[in-house]
Amino acid sequence: MVRWRVRWAGGLAVLLLLAACGAMPAPTVVTDDRPPAPVQLRTATLATPTACSAGFVPHALEHTTRSGARIAAVYESNGAGVALGDLDGDGRDEVVLANLAGDASLLWNRGALRFARQALPVTQARAVAVVDVDADGRSDLVFTRRFEKPLWLRNTGVPGAARFSAQPLPDVNNTFYSMAWADLDDDGDLDLVAASYDAEQLKHQGQIFTQRGGIGVFVYWREGATFRAERLATAAEALAIALIDLDGDGQRDIWIGNDFNVRDQIWLRVGSGWRAGLPLDSMTENTMSLDWGDIDNDGQFEIFASDMKPVDKDVATMARWLPMMKKMTRPLTSDDPQHAENTLQVRGADGRWRDQAYERRVDSSGWSWSAKFGDLDADGALDLLVVNGMIARGLFDHLPGAELVEPNMAFRNRGAGSFAVAHEWRLGATASGRGMSMGDLDGDGDLDVVVNNLEAPAVVFENQICGAQHLTVAPRMPGSANPLAVGARLTLRLADTTLVREVRAISGYLSGDPAAVHFGLPPGAVIDTLRIDWPDGRVSWLHDLTPGQHLQISATS
Amino acid sequence: MVAATSPRMRRLHVPLWELLDPREHGPAMAWSAALALVAAVLVRAAGWPLWQASALAVAMMVPVFGAKWLADRRRFGDAVTVLGILVVLQGFHGLEHVAQWIQYHILRWPSFISSGLISAANAEWVHFVWNWAVAATVAWLLWRGIRNRWMWALLAWSVAHGAEHTYMMVRYLQVLDEFRALGVTGVSAQGLPGFFGRDGWLATSPLTQDSFVCRAPGLTTAVRLDVHFWWNIGETTLLLVAAHCRMRRGALPGEGA
Repeated sequence: MVRWRVRWAGGLAVLLLLAACGAMPAPTVVTDDRPPAPVQLRTATLATPTACSAGFVPHALEHTTRSGARIAAVYESNGAGVALGDLDGDGRDEVVLANLAGDASLLWNRGALRFARQALPVTQARAVAVVDVDADGRSDLVFTRRFEKPLWLRNTGVPGAARFSAQPLPDVNNTFYSMAWADLDDDGDLDLVAASYDAEQLKHQGQIFTQRGGIGVFVYWREGATFRAERLATAAEALAIALIDLDGDGQRDIWIGNDFNVRDQIWLRVGSGWRAGLPLDSMTENTMSLDWGDIDNDGQFEIFASDMKPVDKDVATMARWLPMMKKMTRPLTSDDPQHAENTLQVRGADGRWRDQAYERRVDSSGWSWSAKFGDLDADGALDLLVVNGMIARGLFDHLPGAELVEPNMAFRNRGAGSFAVAHEWRLGATASGRGMSMGDLDGDGDLDVVVNNLEAPAVVFENQICGAQHLTVAPRMPGSANPLAVGARLTLRLADTTLVREVRAISGYLSGDPAAVHFGLPPGAVIDTLRIDWPDGRVSWLHDLTPGQHLQISATS
Repeated sequence: MVAATSPRMRRLHVPLWELLDPREHGPAMAWSAALALVAAVLVRAAGWPLWQASALAVAMMVPVFGAKWLADRRRFGDAVTVLGILVVLQGFHGLEHVAQWIQYHILRWPSFISSGLISAANAEWVHFVWNWAVAATVAWLLWRGIRNRWMWALLAWSVAHGAEHTYMMVRYLQVLDEFRALGVTGVSAQGLPGFFGRDGWLATSPLTQDSFVCRAPGLTTAVRLDVHFWWNIGETTLLLVAAHCRMRRGALPGEGA
């Protein structure tokens, strides 16, 4: 009896001490009273890798994004995005590459990294995402365009040229650069957040653009077959958007990543409205890309924003960068939260976000564009890939071809969220990458990478890192207004750790994500449970899962 | 050899004051300072930039300081006079760094504008030359017999400080060479990271990764302005202590003219 009392007292003291020190991790929201969602499960065994080389092998794709000029000027130099998604329902993700001065490309996935190109008559495109806009069970394509309204290529399901019917998104009547999709009001359908890149519009239209009142940031609420616009800001320089819960209230907030020393804009969801706020002590000065993932497997997402900062500080590199840096330097005061380097926002136990990019060695990755987390070596820890480069007449005239040649940077997660450059993965191509996305394109479970370069062929990097196990999961909500289950949160519990992934439509820089998540599992890992938090608030638990499988899990009503 | 000092300082008996005491030049120094201040304010009001107004004020103080140091030389000899000159000039250099620190951290100016009072002198080569001049002067003072543990520490500190400026100067010149090769003109290479501080050699070298060095506060995280603020605070402090110790010992054989 006495022994039990001592144990209770000791346990209580430890709990009180942890609470007092603020060392308790912020609690993950677990509501056991959430309604359960029955599911239907379809499994497929992942293919055995055909080759192992401990790295990635590039394969050129039949697509080159062209700027339309002999040497791209600023804004053309920003290139275009890429999206992955299954457009014909065969279980393989297609590759869709946006283009500026030329057709976009839809590369039908024929398996084993063989693709058949179909030109899509969409020019001057920026972002691209695979979204089931009309919730008919067939994934559609949505492009933002430089000088026109977003274009919706509705998937008719008819094979061949009639597959897609081009039309504007209903009642979306502005020109946008970046976009993101999520169910922001928990009504079951996908809402759209879109934002403009005013500098480009100003260059294109002249002062009349500002006289018209600019564009800015819009939320388009899905209402039946149409969208209802809510304008949040009249100006933006948005290269990236993240829809993620920033204040821990369980509701998605809006983060607009702005270029040109314009502070990022954040709107927190409060009730049924928005409250503008900036809950960050430090942020990027020229936000190029936003992505989020649980890099330390603590159940909470960290957020990465890319900027422009040379990786090497050697003389040759600095000489290439300095003329541009002097030209673009703005008189930011020393207490300005913006800094021209990548940020990695980590949420502390007190709920505050703190930038830890410098400490975790991901503060510089070059002239960076799309940056995304992915478990590239399938060790259970999310790695980071950033694609780089710049071609800009007027900005880099001191360099051959006005091109700042920069290698893409892969950062291997060494555990607990600290990173080291992974040259050995051979992802450091120097082809001026812009859009980038990751997905399993050859059915072997690991993450392959597609990069949409500017003025150079797009490339798929085949993942040939072997030795680990994989589990890929495609949650679906057939018959709902969100069939691809965008926003679903998947928690895979292993014996010694927990991995959390999320289905999203688009992230990084202009680049759509596949509607499936990847779990890398160290050899010998045993799966305890898979929990799915569906976007409609229901929860499913799956047991007796084994690695080496692709799961399609459909929530039934 | 006890020079005439103010009654207050005699009461306090601060040996360092022996070096700084204007003595018979006190009134002239006060007038010079007042006139310099007025002139600086007037030319600032007339639109001169801060660095020109500051330079004018400093220039107006030079004659009276020159007269004081000539008198000091007759009183103390070469070595102690040079020590006094070094205290004043390094003190002013230190003040420049304090001014930068205030501009950046208190007034919240952008870093590239936080250049001190005489901003035109905030150039890579000026810092390089000045810091090696300090190290050389300290070495000369040691050779001339002004020896105490603080002077040796000052020598080590100033050589280390000079070494960092050498690293920055070499990189500065190399970048200028690269600029020439690239045909870049009109771009300054000022402000590159040095050995210490954020993005410096220590922070980025593979040799230091994961070592205690990268966890030491400030060593690999301080911005360049702060790194050199602390270099100069350390240097000025050591100099003041060394000078104080020297003056406490009174006149010594072998130091005179």
